Amino acid sequence: MERSVARKFRDGKMVKVWVKSDGGSIKEIRITGDFFAHPEEGIELIERELRDVKIVEVRRALESASGGITLIGVSIEDLIDMIEECLE
Amino acid sequence: MDKIRVIRFEYGDAFFNMALDEAIMRAVGGGMSPPTLRIYGWDPPAVSVGYFQELKEEIDLEFCHDRKIQMVRRLSGGGAVLHTPKELTYSFSVRVDDPLVPQDVQGSYMKICAPIVSALRKLGVEANFRPINDIEVARRKVSGSAQTRRFGAVLQHGTILLGMDYSLLPALKTRPEKLAEKGVRDVRDRITTIGELLRREVKQSEFEDLLIRSFAAHFQASVEETKLCGMEELIPALEERYKSAEWTFRR
Repeated sequence: MERSVARKFRDGKMVKVWVKSDGGSIKEIRITGDFFAHPEEGIELIERELRDVKIVEVRRALESASGGITLIGVSIEDLIDMIEECLE
Repeated sequence: MDKIRVIRFEYGDAFFNMALDEAIMRAVGGGMSPPTLRIYGWDPPAVSVGYFQELKEEIDLEFCHDRKIQMVRRLSGGGAVLHTPKELTYSFSVRVDDPLVPQDVQGSYMKICAPIVSALRKLGVEANFRPINDIEVARRKVSGSAQTRRFGAVLQHGTILLGMDYSLLPALKTRPEKLAEKGVRDVRDRITTIGELLRREVKQSEFEDLLIRSFAAHFQASVEETKLCGMEELIPALEERYKSAEWTFRR
């Protein structure tokens, strides 16, 4: 199944998370929007690292994949929240 | 920082503009070029989207096609921007380890926007920096900037709305979440131009001189004018990448 959640954050940044899952784990995920991430490749890294991750493991996987990334306009906690909402 | 290289105003199309910014950034990051301020314009008009944006969510493809507006994905994050020939765009590239630009991203936006705010005040508008990356006059946006940090450099580029062709605004999809209602009127309540504020036309050539002097003063640097970026040979391949559907529609 596929679901997306879009949210507008403080500072006006808009973020959309799209998740394709099989009910047990994430098959594909895409994070889009007008936020900033440094280095930019960090977002693609997160998207790769979350593939095939079990739903209960999302927080741990995202926290470990996002270690060296500076996000502006959205936080890791926001992303976890949105991914979990997509998986509800 | 003792020297800033300055590339003066010239019009370019969307792909050349983004290719040259990237070539400059690579030259600066690779130590082949000092910190570089480039001032430029967009002709034909174009929309640029941020690195992470889903293009079709932001841009009215049909409108752009009908009005011959180019579409380009930037290397930098941030939002979708309409670029019309009346605006002025700047890019400033500096090595990521240059002590004059703070390591923290928010601080570096403020530092690089400061000379722009000063130049606008010299022109006679009460400009203020508004975090994260905007410059406003009386709560309306006149300038927005975006950064990318790669290749050993920080590139910050942004628009300064000296003027604007409002008839092209439908190129951007305005979302109800971002604006109270759809339509040009609402956008015009949120943004304004220097020309409207001063009730006269401000040409790029007039503002360019103020901007160059302001950057030199803020960074206590002398100005070296040039047309070269230090990595000219990269430009054709970079242009091809920015033109490619693979890059443009990657999200």
